[in-house]
Amino acid sequence: MGPIRIEPQKALDEALKLQQKLSAGAQTLRSLDPVTFGVTPKEAVYKDDKVTLYRFRGERPATTKTPLLICYALVNTPYMVDLQDDRSMVKNLLALGQDVYLIDWGYPDGSDKYLNLDDYINGYLRRCVEFLRKSHSVDAINLLGICQGGAFSLCFSAIYPEKIKNLVTMVTPVDFHTPDNMLSHWVRELDVDLFVDTLGNIPADLMNYCYLTLKPMRLNQQKYIGLVDILDNKTELENFLRMEKWIFDSPDQAGEAFRQFIKDFYQGNKLLKGGLQIGDKSVDLKNVRAPVLNIFAEQDHLVPPAASRALKDVVGSSDYSQIAFKGGHIGIYVSSRAQREVPPAIHDWLAKRS
Amino acid sequence: MSNSAQDWINQWQALSQRYWDGWKTQGVMPPAGFGKADANAPWQAGLDQWAQLFGKGNSQSDLVDRVTANAKSYVALMQSMLNTSVGQDGGGSAAAWTEAVRNGFNIPGMDASLWNNPLGTNFRDMAGQGAKGFEQMMAEFGRGAGPFKQEMLAGLGMPAFGLAREHQERWQQLGSAMVEYQEQTNRYNTLILKSSQQGFERFQSKLAEREEPGRQLDSVRAVYDLWIDAAEEAYAEIALSDEFRTVYAAMVNAQMRVRSLMQTEVEQQTRQLGMPTRTELKGVEKSVQELRRHLKASREASAADMAGEIAALRAEVDALKQQVAQSAPAAAPRPAAAAVNPPEAAKPAAAAKKTKR
Repeated sequence: MGPIRIEPQKALDEALKLQQKLSAGAQTLRSLDPVTFGVTPKEAVYKDDKVTLYRFRGERPATTKTPLLICYALVNTPYMVDLQDDRSMVKNLLALGQDVYLIDWGYPDGSDKYLNLDDYINGYLRRCVEFLRKSHSVDAINLLGICQGGAFSLCFSAIYPEKIKNLVTMVTPVDFHTPDNMLSHWVRELDVDLFVDTLGNIPADLMNYCYLTLKPMRLNQQKYIGLVDILDNKTELENFLRMEKWIFDSPDQAGEAFRQFIKDFYQGNKLLKGGLQIGDKSVDLKNVRAPVLNIFAEQDHLVPPAASRALKDVVGSSDYSQIAFKGGHIGIYVSSRAQREVPPAIHDWLAKRS
Repeated sequence: MSNSAQDWINQWQALSQRYWDGWKTQGVMPPAGFGKADANAPWQAGLDQWAQLFGKGNSQSDLVDRVTANAKSYVALMQSMLNTSVGQDGGGSAAAWTEAVRNGFNIPGMDASLWNNPLGTNFRDMAGQGAKGFEQMMAEFGRGAGPFKQEMLAGLGMPAFGLAREHQERWQQLGSAMVEYQEQTNRYNTLILKSSQQGFERFQSKLAEREEPGRQLDSVRAVYDLWIDAAEEAYAEIALSDEFRTVYAAMVNAQMRVRSLMQTEVEQQTRQLGMPTRTELKGVEKSVQELRRHLKASREASAADMAGEIAALRAEVDALKQQVAQSAPAAAPRPAAAAVNPPEAAKPAAAAKKTKR
């Protein structure tokens, strides 16, 4: 018996269904409003060059004394955590009583080409933390780092352990040399100096192209075949386009910060192995003394789970917990499962350590 | 031809007619020459006309382009598979089906260099607008230089003389870098083609696993999804290989050398026209960043100094207040009534006490 048995009528039904969806799409696509994201009310409470610190406003006042600062990656915009009303980690954390702040790194331009990791971690991030310590009259804050922002948060917690009460890392790479890390594999022999000297800031389009080539057939082809299925559903189509906007509305990367991140983290694996310097400060993860909650995604193709799991063996904290989430790098923020599981897990863990 | 095969063809032609009738109701006409009995008219042709319904400049036109490009591949795959089904009655081998899928990706009119290379096609479709100018230029260079490569390389190695020797050396470097980039790109493309081929091989083995009764695929979408799985697995294996790592880096490094040397050439021209150059601008940007750092450090230092000074002054004031408070009763003991209405001189100390931090 052959492996495929397609009845002609069924195949034609598939073709006609595709045709109908496309036909409906001709109407739906014309009726869509411009895509927006970032739904929870917020106010800018601190500005530092292009960096803005936002405080989110929940429907009721926060019940926690210690503010929770979200430190996102430099790549992509931070609104993945507040994408839409029913897909918002921020909204769910606020509902649980957290006082949530977020750093928006902004869109670097040519004048920011020479921003380095010292500027980002010992500069912007530290000053945001200082602002919160002062405005909340607390010695230490809760820090939630995401992806590259998680790596920054680990560096910060190691350099300034007294300023961090609790640390949550999400999909954060620690071991950059796990065998399944495709991105790391590709940049290992790259001449980063030539790359940055030539390009200056690294264009967002180039970064996105690189991410798409991690799974080219799935992300550039199968995804859009799947899109045909929802062409007749305005709500789902808007959700799709919102995600699409988030993926491609990305900031360029400040050249010097990119150079150092690739050299020290991706090529040198210094966050794990040691020897990492951020400005004049040494980073040793053994200095991270705050309780740590490490959340990673089991199907993450950008930050493989093993890259995050490595934190357990190198962090100095005696209070370490980890959660393996069933999903991918993006699903951990936007899937329905994530809405149900992730914010309560973070809140409960913090509440026990308040 | 057996009766069942003839029946299938009749049925297929009738179904194909229905497919095109469906498009016609939406104002999309079948390709020229399409007749009632022509089951081979390319189905994907309808997609082009569907895309034209949106016109250009529509806010969703990028999305429409993307949907169209991918749906065309999918529909071509669908048609190729159905053509293969003729007379097989579910008995086609994994190899025959793999061939059908392979043919499905070879859409008439596509770049022949991407024949049997769906991954290469995918990469070309994916290239961002920002990359196109450079890639097109390099493609033109490759087409022009290809046949004369040896002569060109020999020319690029010739010594330079006279007034223009410095310029000539730069141009030679640029020419060599372009040739090098072409070579590295070819190495990379070879691996991508290899990945496509291995994708088909994996697909065939995955299909073979489906020959067991009860595990057959019964829809084009299921076949397509299986093909995607196979293609991604094959690509991942190659992309994580040491060879790919070296080739990928060599290609990117070579492209950066070309870009860098081109920037140098542009600088030469702009300098002669009295326009600011990229190098000069970078120098300014670097200085701006250093000044920014210096300013922030100074502000923080002066804020810290100020805070320290204020704290010291407060401590001094507090100490003085305590001294005044302690020395006042000893200097002039008062009757009990005086405490109710203190003299004017004592009021500041009392007020200060209230605001003591």
